[in-house]
Amino acid sequence: MMVGALDRRGLSFLLGSLLLITLPHGWHIPWPLFGFFAVMLVWRFMAVRYPGWLPKRWQLFLLTLLGVALLLSQQRGVFGRDAGTGLIVVALGLKLLEIRGRRDVLLVVYLAFIVAASQFLYEQSILMAGYILLVCILLLATLIVQTAERVETRAALKTATAIVLQALPLALVLFVLFPRLEAPRWMWLADDNKALSGLSDTLEPGSISDLSLSDELVFRVRFEGDVPPPLLRYWRGAVYSRTDGVRWTVDSSRDTSARPPEFSGDAYRYTLLMEPQKQNWVFGLEMPESFGAGLRSIHGFQLRSDKRPADRAEYKIVSRPFYNTGPLSPADYRENLQLPLAASDRQLALIKALGGGNASPEQFIQNLLNHFRREAFFYTLAPPLMPENPIDTFLFETRSGFCSHYAAAFVYLLRIAKIPARVIGGYQGGEFNKVGGFLEVRQADAHAWAEAWLENKGWVRFDPTAAVAPERVERGVNVDLQIASGAVNFGPLTGDSAALNWFKRGRQLWQSVDYNWQRWVINYSGANQMQFLRTLGIDGISPLVKWLLGSLLAVTLPLAWWLLKKPAKTADKPLLVYRRFCGKLADAGVVIGQGEGAKDFAGRAQKQLPELAGRIEQISALFIRLRYQADAKAGDLQRLKNLVDAFSVKKRR
Amino acid sequence: MNGGSLGWRQRFKPSRFLIGEAPAAGPIQLDQRRVFILPTRQGLLFVLLIVLVLLIAFVYNNNLAYMLGFLLASVFFVTILHSFKALSGLVVRAGQHQPVFAGDQALFNFVLHNPGDQARPAIDVSLREPRTIRLRPGETQTVSLAVPAEKRGWLACDTLTLSSCYPLGLFRAWSPLRFDSRVLVYPQPAKLELPFPETDSGPGGQGQSKREGDEFYGLKSYQSGDPIRQIHWKAYAKGRGLHSKQYAGASSLELWLDYETTPGADAEARLGQLCRWLVDAEQAGRRYGLLLPGVRLEPDRGAAHNQACLSALALFGLES
Repeated sequence: MMVGALDRRGLSFLLGSLLLITLPHGWHIPWPLFGFFAVMLVWRFMAVRYPGWLPKRWQLFLLTLLGVALLLSQQRGVFGRDAGTGLIVVALGLKLLEIRGRRDVLLVVYLAFIVAASQFLYEQSILMAGYILLVCILLLATLIVQTAERVETRAALKTATAIVLQALPLALVLFVLFPRLEAPRWMWLADDNKALSGLSDTLEPGSISDLSLSDELVFRVRFEGDVPPPLLRYWRGAVYSRTDGVRWTVDSSRDTSARPPEFSGDAYRYTLLMEPQKQNWVFGLEMPESFGAGLRSIHGFQLRSDKRPADRAEYKIVSRPFYNTGPLSPADYRENLQLPLAASDRQLALIKALGGGNASPEQFIQNLLNHFRREAFFYTLAPPLMPENPIDTFLFETRSGFCSHYAAAFVYLLRIAKIPARVIGGYQGGEFNKVGGFLEVRQADAHAWAEAWLENKGWVRFDPTAAVAPERVERGVNVDLQIASGAVNFGPLTGDSAALNWFKRGRQLWQSVDYNWQRWVINYSGANQMQFLRTLGIDGISPLVKWLLGSLLAVTLPLAWWLLKKPAKTADKPLLVYRRFCGKLADAGVVIGQGEGAKDFAGRAQKQLPELAGRIEQISALFIRLRYQADAKAGDLQRLKNLVDAFSVKKRR
Repeated sequence: MNGGSLGWRQRFKPSRFLIGEAPAAGPIQLDQRRVFILPTRQGLLFVLLIVLVLLIAFVYNNNLAYMLGFLLASVFFVTILHSFKALSGLVVRAGQHQPVFAGDQALFNFVLHNPGDQARPAIDVSLREPRTIRLRPGETQTVSLAVPAEKRGWLACDTLTLSSCYPLGLFRAWSPLRFDSRVLVYPQPAKLELPFPETDSGPGGQGQSKREGDEFYGLKSYQSGDPIRQIHWKAYAKGRGLHSKQYAGASSLELWLDYETTPGADAEARLGQLCRWLVDAEQAGRRYGLLLPGVRLEPDRGAAHNQACLSALALFGLES
């Protein structure tokens, strides 16, 4: 019992596992904080070699002040994920220089487990889970080395691994059956500076083209039946109805539920797995007919979720591609004709030329789309800047833009022509993952299109981008190429196995594994858990408790039996070998009596088989030494085996 | 090895957990009846850690943090089994003990055997002061634990406690064991070097001077307790076994050590003085007899005789 003394190996173990457990935070917390921790860690590493280098008390005090100052300069709040993580990492660094005894080591190891938990607040991938599991084994090995100083390093690692492996089944049972409750709202800690991308409630000229260079996953969809063709894959998000001529915004004042449209045509049933988002839109296939609890359809048929958008969530939705939203209320009518300023002469002239006012709204819209198609309009990710009067500049001068330019200009002209219209933001397309059988929609699939209200038809979708670049809608975006080149790129023409090279197949395989990981591990909570448990027949608290106890027993009893069974088998290896020897003698007619000692039996056998007396004596003596005497040597068992193997007698009848 | 099954009342008697069951003569193999487990302070802190991790998981609704919390909880549970495994199966028996003089340290020897193929890296063995030992698979190790011998007489072995916090230090498994063994404690020899109480019965003269005149008398087969310097090494080297040389010269210098005539303030002081003389006389190679009230040991010499006399002193006036 060496309390207070710390051996080098124990410290090195501790520092090594601390380095590994905090390493991923290098990407998460501000670099001055991580740098501070790294300096402390390196300092402590050096002090393992040169104990004189440890800081004195007043130096430690100054370091603490420095740490506090760094924390204050880097943090915006006191609570929350980022603030908490920063605090723990800095405290850990300081504590490292102040390790004086075993208890300090334990405190540091326990803090390290908290750091491990905080890693999952930033990333929940399979790789991170595996990494943290490995480091946890290392931390447990650190505890073992602390408990038993004379244990070999390899034995400590082996024991730690064994303990974790034996604990895993039990942990899995708890994971599946332990009821999850959503934390009350007051416990949601504010973390503003999470770098999440996605649609925002303001559509600015550059906002969608920014997204189009990101291959970040937005959501995945698994269809229960047919997958809709590319032309129908419009994932509806924000409805932008207000404009100041440059920006388009969502009218959040009208947070009322919409009257459901009349649906017709086939239904698509699907499960949507949303990745963490900045906003709580849920991107349903146009047009969602029914959806589970936790979702609301608000003004303009936007689907909004009650959950925190930063969490992954899964929704079951039924959509139908054909619908009639019916008449428009006067308020909606006014809202969707809103214009910031009077139309310019050029705009009026264009509308007149396209038959605005004379032709039917349908005809006018067709003419306008043809105008986009026929004239020299270009679809590009990097249009020239249009700071002043962007609609006019785009329509009459630059004539090149991205989907949001086309949608905005289209809606603007319709409104001048007194047709209610609005811009819809969302995603279009998605890549089908053949391995996993689901659609992956990425930020690069972000899209803006238009909706116009027509008498007797209600809101109808028009995509002016499709008029300019039909490939965008038919083939979707080629995410890799678009990101690589920074320019618009569409999917392959055939979109089939010809282009599906091994790289893509590998990525799809990984995506499929990841999908199931997200679905069954990360997102296994609340409704998801209830539903899974119901398939097992658990539909209440009392069966749940029964199942929990039952499975705990089912897992722990075999484990306990396996761990605690008497070590008799291995201890009696000599006996097993000796029995083989007795068997050989029995063939020769010398049978060992019940309860006869090895010595007596040897004497009897030697008399009956004098020609083998030497051998019998050798084997018996070795067995007696192995079995009953403490001074048996390491090679004795092997020697006994060899002797018995070589021992042979003539069979007597 | 272990007694029969325990009744309920016996099973939950508090003394079982601390003092152990009735003393045993033979070897004891540790099993579920002998091994007790409770969390350490470190273990309780670990529970707090689990709660904290689960709280983080709850607040952030983070499933992997939940998983980490459940994993740590399961590790906590599995460690109970490992704690038990750290001790169970060990075979402990009491070894041979040498008598000591009061005031010295009595050494209790225990033989620990680790059957099976499992290493036991940290076992604390303690009577008073704990000692940490490590047993390899199949290893047998003798541990000597010192206990101060304060009074003459039989010193019974205290409860031997085997304990281990292996592997993670979260739980302490312990096993209190009692053995039938005891150490004989001779009286503390008096500090004062008084001359031997020479009697008229023997020819006078100083014993020491006669030592030179001892003549070799014969060989007898070695008995434990014979002085090493009397061993006939030549005979041993020739493979004839251990023999002790016997001397005849001192037979005439008989010395009677009588309790009644021994100076001393009280009985213990007298016994201490007798003890001192016994040690000195044996060292001087003299023949001596011991007279205690109710005990008479005829003059003789040699380790066995010396021990018999010292034992008589140790147990004088004590029961059994």
